[in-house]
Amino acid sequence: MMVPEVPNSTEILDRYAASRDLWPGGTLAFWHGESAPRPARVFWPENEAQVAEVLQAASAQGIPVVPYGLGSGVCGGARGREGSWVVDTKRLTHLGPLDEERWTLQVGAGVNGQQLEDALQGRGFTLGHSPSSISCSSVGGWAAARSAGQFSSKYGVFEDMVLGLTFVTPTGRILEIGTHGDDDPALLPLILGSEGTLGIVTRLTLRIWRTPESRWLRGYRFSTVEDALDAMRRLMQAELWPAVVRLYDPVDTRIGGKTKPKSAHESNRRFVRRWLAKAGEIDAIKKRTLALPLSLPGVVNRIFDGVSSGCLLIVGWEGRPAVVEAQTAAGRAILEERGEDLGAGPGNRWFQSRHAVSYKLMPVFERGGFADTMEIAARWSDLPRVYESVREAVAPHAVVLAHMSHVYPEGGSIYFSFAGRGTREVYEAVWNAAQDAVLAAGATVTHHHGVGSLKARWAAAEVGPAVEGWRELKDRLDPNGVMNPGRLFVPVPPRDAGPDPRLHEIDGMLRVHVDAPSSERDAECALLGAEQMFPWETLPAPPRWTHSHWQVGWVEVSGRVGAIQARLGRGPRSATGPDLRHWLADQGECRCTIPTVPAGDRWVGAGRCPNPWRVARELLRSDLRPARLEVVKGELIVGFRGPTARQLGQVASRWVPGGLVEREWTPFSLPSGPLEACSLDDPACVTVTAQGGFRRVG
Amino acid sequence: MSWDTCALCPRLCRSACPVATGSGREAAVPAVIAGTMLDVERGVLPESLGREALTLCTDCGACQEHCHLHVPLPAMLREARVERVPRPALEALQPIQGMGDWIAVESDERPFAEALSKALKVPVRRWATSDHLGVEVLPFPDFEQRLERIRGRVGAARVVVISGGVAKVLEAAGVGFQWLHEVVRDLPGGEGSCALGGSRPLGCCGAAGPLKSFHPDDAARTGRVWLDRSEEWVVRDARCRGHLNGCGGQVKDPLDALLERQ
Repeated sequence: MMVPEVPNSTEILDRYAASRDLWPGGTLAFWHGESAPRPARVFWPENEAQVAEVLQAASAQGIPVVPYGLGSGVCGGARGREGSWVVDTKRLTHLGPLDEERWTLQVGAGVNGQQLEDALQGRGFTLGHSPSSISCSSVGGWAAARSAGQFSSKYGVFEDMVLGLTFVTPTGRILEIGTHGDDDPALLPLILGSEGTLGIVTRLTLRIWRTPESRWLRGYRFSTVEDALDAMRRLMQAELWPAVVRLYDPVDTRIGGKTKPKSAHESNRRFVRRWLAKAGEIDAIKKRTLALPLSLPGVVNRIFDGVSSGCLLIVGWEGRPAVVEAQTAAGRAILEERGEDLGAGPGNRWFQSRHAVSYKLMPVFERGGFADTMEIAARWSDLPRVYESVREAVAPHAVVLAHMSHVYPEGGSIYFSFAGRGTREVYEAVWNAAQDAVLAAGATVTHHHGVGSLKARWAAAEVGPAVEGWRELKDRLDPNGVMNPGRLFVPVPPRDAGPDPRLHEIDGMLRVHVDAPSSERDAECALLGAEQMFPWETLPAPPRWTHSHWQVGWVEVSGRVGAIQARLGRGPRSATGPDLRHWLADQGECRCTIPTVPAGDRWVGAGRCPNPWRVARELLRSDLRPARLEVVKGELIVGFRGPTARQLGQVASRWVPGGLVEREWTPFSLPSGPLEACSLDDPACVTVTAQGGFRRVG
Repeated sequence: MSWDTCALCPRLCRSACPVATGSGREAAVPAVIAGTMLDVERGVLPESLGREALTLCTDCGACQEHCHLHVPLPAMLREARVERVPRPALEALQPIQGMGDWIAVESDERPFAEALSKALKVPVRRWATSDHLGVEVLPFPDFEQRLERIRGRVGAARVVVISGGVAKVLEAAGVGFQWLHEVVRDLPGGEGSCALGGSRPLGCCGAAGPLKSFHPDDAARTGRVWLDRSEEWVVRDARCRGHLNGCGGQVKDPLDALLERQ
């Protein structure tokens, strides 16, 4: 066997440590004393060249490779595989340089999330990415599984933060993509989310933001989930961009005691803690404390449903004080129509404990049960149905509760938590029932945990014949098929996705042919009395200021692969592997949905200043999030939509000497086609992001 | 206490552990060591593996400080080491040489007693030790006899130290002591050890201790990782100085500063 000269170990201790990630199914098996499959060797490469050496050697010898970061994945994407080589990325700890002019940072894949954020905060910046696993997950893991953080509605999900990356393939190629070099930028969305099945991401350049000057957090109590969802949707569709929007369903609200002052539920908790502590003193009892109630999940669910009413919504804004003030004023008007203001307490409590989730699940295993979570996403109109379907499907097998976070103008995600009797049979029954229900309800099976081995067959069913897009790329980058086999997609009979689902008015979307000219799309929008929200082509223009030019503005794409219909984008965002929507659109005739905004408040102003693109960039960095931003013949034009339009226009005027003069809102043309980075002083500059300027290619 | 809670934990202590972050070894993560011990106790893994895992911990205590559940893992690992890992050899205590009210504990080759005497302009007694008074044996029950002897030898003298290992032993013996930089003014010393060298305070990595004996490669790599964090290092602990310099650093401590001045 050829073993590259890269730091490695065949010691049992190292192979044992790399055999398990945080997939609760693996934890359950470990708890029952079952041995996990052990890799044959663990490598710790320290740079791209060493990663390439290991992957090439593995590929040449047909040895499976499992990439391993901090092992915090909950879907079994990094769990052991007998006889494999593990590539542990923990020594890829490159950090910097931090570019204070461009607001970017380069970082190695093995860097721990919290350490990255600490380093940024020490310099007055933030990544804005705050998954609850931040202390135990790595940047490479975020890229591999398309992570999303708790402030995603303001800062975006992880792929929104990536400006460039370095990627090593098993053929030994080191690809430099985006800001890293000249390799094909179209590969970027195909690498992110590929979960180590194509190669290994070793380094990334990320967009960063100034740490917010102010933060506003509050709790609201709603009588029903539907009322709360309605308020959440309206906040997002009014383009108020809250940083945090989290709704706890009645059971989660009840169990957490989240709507009451701390003192009101503390005595009950103390009693439960004392009781559990007493029971825990006798090992035989401790290990069964939860087994009995969890063996009657139907009864427990009914009891919880019976005693639970009302749900808690945590909502928050952060940024410049003047912007936060305007946004919170408009947001409160929406929230207080049907919500009861609970003050700052619930929001602050959530903020203090926002990362304290994972370790709370351990006592459930110790007491004879299991606990797991499932995050899915759907359009607003589908969310209530998906919520009920999953609850109904899981209720006979496990206790189920949920919260809803990660919201978008088009929909949101639901995060289900399950607790059941700790046996493999119950565990599998829960997942089979839950994922089948998600697919049947038309939602996406994963929003930000990724796929791993746990969800591979449902992900393959969801993506359907479009899996071929990933397969084509895998054949090219990993011809011997050694990268993380059995993860992400497994062979399932391709299923026709059927006719496109009906669009509902509340989702604010429009379905058009991919190659329809802008005039046709404008006509469709006019029929709806709406305006297209995002640009048609992929470009770094407002209002999706967190997006990059390699990302698509479409939500759903449906088309044929051979004779079979495929549909991608069942929710506003999906982490079922790489983003294959562009690939599907390239297969021939297809349709896509684009988001729109209804008619309503608008404000637009124009002004002249010495370097308008520089001012435009500062406006993007100012938390204002203008709905339009352009420079026409040296004149800066800035527009806002929604209830804060006029106030934000006044704030924006402060950046322009002489101010912005209000004018009539008219449709405007966005630059389209491929773009490349350029200086803000470049006369060909057509658009900006907070990170820099862009001009048309050609 | 049982290993259960740590064995099932999402390994939040990883980022606090200097050995795990320094070496990159998943096996060194305190929660993984706990999982290994659980599997050893229930017969899934052999006893020898448990012994090896236990020696990856430097007993720095960072995992307990970082733990959201306040699990006393360092104490559990200490107890397990005493039970399972063979007791390291203990060198005989050296006699204290010279006269005077002051004692300088010389833990390396540098003339600490002489330098201190010059600085204070008083006689200083020299107490040489090549194993930091036996700090690696400190957790073992029979060390109590040595502590008794240490108390007897020091008597009412004023003890000055430059080694964290020596300080730990004296603390266990209940003997009062001062660090060099506390006795001689204007020497670099500060509050913490590694905090002086970097932009962020770092806990003691412990790599200069038992890790060096059992896993020299990991100790060296941990040292190098720490050195990478700063251009210039001044540490309080002569043990760290020795280890980091052995890893290719140019690290100074208060005694270096004093010797340079003289």
